[in-house]
Amino acid sequence: MKTTTKRLVFGISLLAGALTAPQVLASDDKFAAYREALAGDNPGEFWIDDGKKLFFEKRGPKKASLEQCDFGLGPGVLKGAYAQLPRYFQDTRKVETLEGRILTCMEKLQGIKPEEAVKMTYLNAAEEDSRPDDLTKIATYIAAQSNGMKFAVQPRNAQEQHALELGKKMFWRRQGAMDLACADCHANTKGKQLRGVDLPDMTDIKTAGKVMTAFPAYVLKDSNVRGQWWRNERCVLAMRLPWLKLGSEIDAALTLYMLNFASQSEEKIQVPGIKPRA
Amino acid sequence: MNKKHYLTFALALAMAGTAHAESTPDWGDKISEKEFLEAAKRSFYLNDPKEFDRLLDETLEVCNATKNRPNAEQTKAILAREQKSIVYPKDGKLFGDWKKGQKVVEEAHGGRIGYPGFADADNPKHPNGANCYACHAIDPNFPQAGNMGPPLTNYGKLRPKNDAMVKYTYDKVYNSKATNPCSLMPRYGGPKHLLTPEQVADVVAFLLDPESPVNNPPVNAK
Ligand code: HEC
Ligand code: HEC
Repeated sequence: MKTTTKRLVFGISLLAGALTAPQVLASDDKFAAYREALAGDNPGEFWIDDGKKLFFEKRGPKKASLEQCDFGLGPGVLKGAYAQLPRYFQDTRKVETLEGRILTCMEKLQGIKPEEAVKMTYLNAAEEDSRPDDLTKIATYIAAQSNGMKFAVQPRNAQEQHALELGKKMFWRRQGAMDLACADCHANTKGKQLRGVDLPDMTDIKTAGKVMTAFPAYVLKDSNVRGQWWRNERCVLAMRLPWLKLGSEIDAALTLYMLNFASQSEEKIQVPGIKPRA
Repeated sequence: MNKKHYLTFALALAMAGTAHAESTPDWGDKISEKEFLEAAKRSFYLNDPKEFDRLLDETLEVCNATKNRPNAEQTKAILAREQKSIVYPKDGKLFGDWKKGQKVVEEAHGGRIGYPGFADADNPKHPNGANCYACHAIDPNFPQAGNMGPPLTNYGKLRPKNDAMVKYTYDKVYNSKATNPCSLMPRYGGPKHLLTPEQVADVVAFLLDPESPVNNPPVNAK
């Protein structure tokens, strides 16, 4: 990729714009224009290349690659793996998201502790300090192997059914210092805006399809690629709840709940997506 | 009965047929509170066990259990409890400084809990803001606004200038659940929430003071 520097400079100038002129950038029209400008030239593509390298590299105390990781379709099968996650895994007895499963494999195959692997995904609330992390790179590489496919996340067993119900509970339960539920901002929100931003209805099949097929997504505001967990966490932070652990039961349940709607849509996975804020 | 939530509920019912397979809205009713809280204990990182209290609240528990439709008895109990929780500034002044209030209304700092190694937690030395523009149009000069709550532009101009109005506004901002049991609006006062009594009084002034830009919109404002 010879246009690396050019693209990075473009990304940085966008970020600078976002920091100096937040009011102007907050308008949805402006963001649509940026999205179009970048559509053929998505800096998130670099995350795929970097993620591929990291996936095959022998890393960690056990000096192993992630090639033997089973994402649900058998060890090493990546094509279509993202489209059927989260799912229940016999070996861990947990419903796992893509990111959660990568953590499991990093620990099992490479000996890398989860605390090490997620250390620096999100540094401060102002996002000025947001920087690329390995886990999201690996997730973006694997997710891209399902490009062109529809999500197929329907509960197949009691554990996944339980996760769907738990996700629903987390989504609708009012809680946190702001007395809010995810549903207050993301269910029946047609025409509703939060501080000038349209609120996507995540219980609307079409909207859920559009939103979820784009993650991991290159987020212009952060000049960084953001995955499923981080998207949940950003809204959890807004609700002033405690920190949601990546790959935890509730993280997986929320993701499964929203992907269950997305799976009923015709939208196809196309990652890395590109988003103004998200 | 809370009209706004009743409407939302009716809408949810009408849409349930398309969005969910069920015929009644389901807020994850198959998972008990106990089961949820156990999963939450495993899923949230706590710097301090007290942080878990953010998932526990007597009033929201009733709102969640009744899908924001508490019965008459529950409503009475909520309103009484929430009204009792309201604390007024020590000097007794519910009407503060609108310029200070303006900052509180605009800013969004406060109440975020971090994770060790993440510099994300809010700095307690920095005073909290309330981010009212998330849901309300207020000062029309402010470039962003949400519409989850009613517009508050000209709030003071359109209302009687008396102590009852000052108290109503103070109480609304300090504790929206004292007048509307399952209000969508967050409670802002008290140790579990973001603002001090003095800050609430400043916000009241921002809304009611005739000098405040809220009550002096530019001639050609929409
Ligand atoms: C106070 C309102 C509010 C609450 C509560 C809230 N969100 Fe959000 N959410 C937003 C806003 C605003 C956006 C940004 C939309 C955009 O950038 O276009 C957003 C974005 C999202 C997106 C990505 C949308 C996109 O287009 O990429 C997802 C997914 C999401 N939220 C899920 C959740 C979940 C899960 C919860 C609960 C844990 C939650 N939200 C709680 C306001 C909220
Ligand atoms: C998450 C959304 C939300 C936020 C944030 C919010 N409000 Fe509200 N507000 C509402 C809703 C919804 C109502 C109407 C229902 C009610 O009165 O309980 C309301 C009602 C009000 C009213 C009563 C209006 C009237 O005519 O009686 C006032 C005053 C008010 N809000 C001020 C504020 C202030 C000041 C802030 C910030 C400190 C704020 N609100 C933050 C949603 C919100």
